[in-house]
Amino acid sequence: MPIARHWPKAVLGSLMGLLLLPIFATLVYSLSSHWGATILPDGFSLNWYLQLWAEPRFLAALGRSLLVCGGSLLLTYLVVVPAAFVIFYRYPQLDKPMGLLILLPFAMPPVVASVGLLSLYAGGALPLVGTPWILLGCYFSLALPLLYRALANRLSRLALHDLMAAAQLLGASAPKAFWLVILPSLRKSLFSALFLSFSFLMGEFVFANLLVGTRFETLQIYLYNMRATSGHYTSALVISYFLITLLLTWLASRFNR
Amino acid sequence: MSFVTLRGLSKQLPDRPLFDNLHLSIQEGELITLLGPSGCGKSTLLRALAGLTPIDGGQILMAGEEITHRAPQQRQIGMVFQHYALFPNMTVAGNVGFGLKMQGVPEPERRERVMQMLELVELAGKANAMPGELSGGQQQRVALARALAVRPRLLLLDEPLSALDARIRRHLRSQIRELVHKLGVTTVFVTHDQEEALLLSDRIVLMQDGQIVQTGTAEEIYARPVNRFAARFIGHYNLLDAETARRLLGHQGQGYLAIRPECIQLQPQAQGQARVLGHQLLGNVVRYQVQWQDQRLDVDTLNQGVQGLLPPGTLVALQFQTDQFREVA
Repeated sequence: MPIARHWPKAVLGSLMGLLLLPIFATLVYSLSSHWGATILPDGFSLNWYLQLWAEPRFLAALGRSLLVCGGSLLLTYLVVVPAAFVIFYRYPQLDKPMGLLILLPFAMPPVVASVGLLSLYAGGALPLVGTPWILLGCYFSLALPLLYRALANRLSRLALHDLMAAAQLLGASAPKAFWLVILPSLRKSLFSALFLSFSFLMGEFVFANLLVGTRFETLQIYLYNMRATSGHYTSALVISYFLITLLLTWLASRFNR
Repeated sequence: MSFVTLRGLSKQLPDRPLFDNLHLSIQEGELITLLGPSGCGKSTLLRALAGLTPIDGGQILMAGEEITHRAPQQRQIGMVFQHYALFPNMTVAGNVGFGLKMQGVPEPERRERVMQMLELVELAGKANAMPGELSGGQQQRVALARALAVRPRLLLLDEPLSALDARIRRHLRSQIRELVHKLGVTTVFVTHDQEEALLLSDRIVLMQDGQIVQTGTAEEIYARPVNRFAARFIGHYNLLDAETARRLLGHQGQGYLAIRPECIQLQPQAQGQARVLGHQLLGNVVRYQVQWQDQRLDVDTLNQGVQGLLPPGTLVALQFQTDQFREVA
């Protein structure tokens, strides 16, 4: 009996352990001054972190990552939230085609998409390759499905027409009704999509590397370029990146409450 | 002089006209019910009154002013929806106070009026609850308070009780009637439930296929249906065509003969002319299905207990209150 009772916990625990092990190992590695031929590190220090956070190139890359992520998320929200509302309020028949459309960014492997984008935007009227602007577009298409799906799930369960009608009969104009009633009702979906797309975009590497590369060095590109330097240094970088993402999503969820 | 007048209203659906040249007057302070089967246009008519559905022709007048093309927010009309439509992001007090906030009523007065309304619907203790934490009946009372808080000139209720279970429905029905009479607000109530209409309304407007079939008090409509539809819909009448009425009852007439189930008495008798097919228990009333030659009839009797029920196959004699016969088109 006790075995049967503890079985699920044991499975869950080992799975958690398995998933956390690499992160834990990276953390330990980033904190050890030297860890070569021995089982345990020779000693611990915060040197790698101090070095990393004093590196202007790292700080610039972090800034660029935040900028391009924030920018594309802002663009996504500005376009998709009103679009999803209009689809469900006025053109519900468009939800089905949208459902297919948002699969495209995931159906097409980023490497393949990059090749197409490279030939489209290398020259011609819109020479965007090598500039952050192309990332803005790419990341928009990556965040769009996450946001649209989250919004669609909520909007389909919201009695949109009744709520709008009720608010309007109580004296609110249509934009006011949207702003005061519909938008706040979507808050949970907006934030859950925000967490997901933010951490996803912060870790994006393929598009950033193939379309822009070192000309606009984001965090992931910087990490890639530093791969030949000390493993302790890159570990500290990975842990820092991890903590920053964690901190920002935590702050957002605090704000959400 | 009526308070609300609908003059020659028409509304076209993509494939057919929903209503055409519809006229209706509503008196001030009156509780009027639009009654009819689903799809008869009653909800659309209500939404047209609210300005939520554009109409294709005709005029809507309220208190002498034409409001046909006025935006919903400028009509001073309150509305309660079938599925409550409470704002999920606001507390109960926030919902009730929303309209006052839109009107720019300052905070202290707003709070006072919100509490007054909540006391009126007996939900003062729930002011800070979120709508999702309330039962269906409570949510609908909040919706009612929200609609009434702005002191609308006209209150519209779109099947407000349909989503509730029977016991709460009965309770809220009488509460609504009390409340609107107390506040004296002119009210239009939409329902497909004839019992609700009979109990609630000062006046019933019976609708079918976008047409007003009959208008009158509950007593008038129940006792004097104008046609077969009205007879079936409101009173569960037995309808005999002219030929059958002549053959079975010796009744000389042109149209259909409508006989209410409670205007027939049945007596078990060995030489009875009719045979019991079965029965339904409606509480204090038992409704028998009876076969009389080729005609089936429904007969209502008072429920005298289980031992008094007539089993299927029993032969019965039928007696008719002929003064209650009514001929309909």
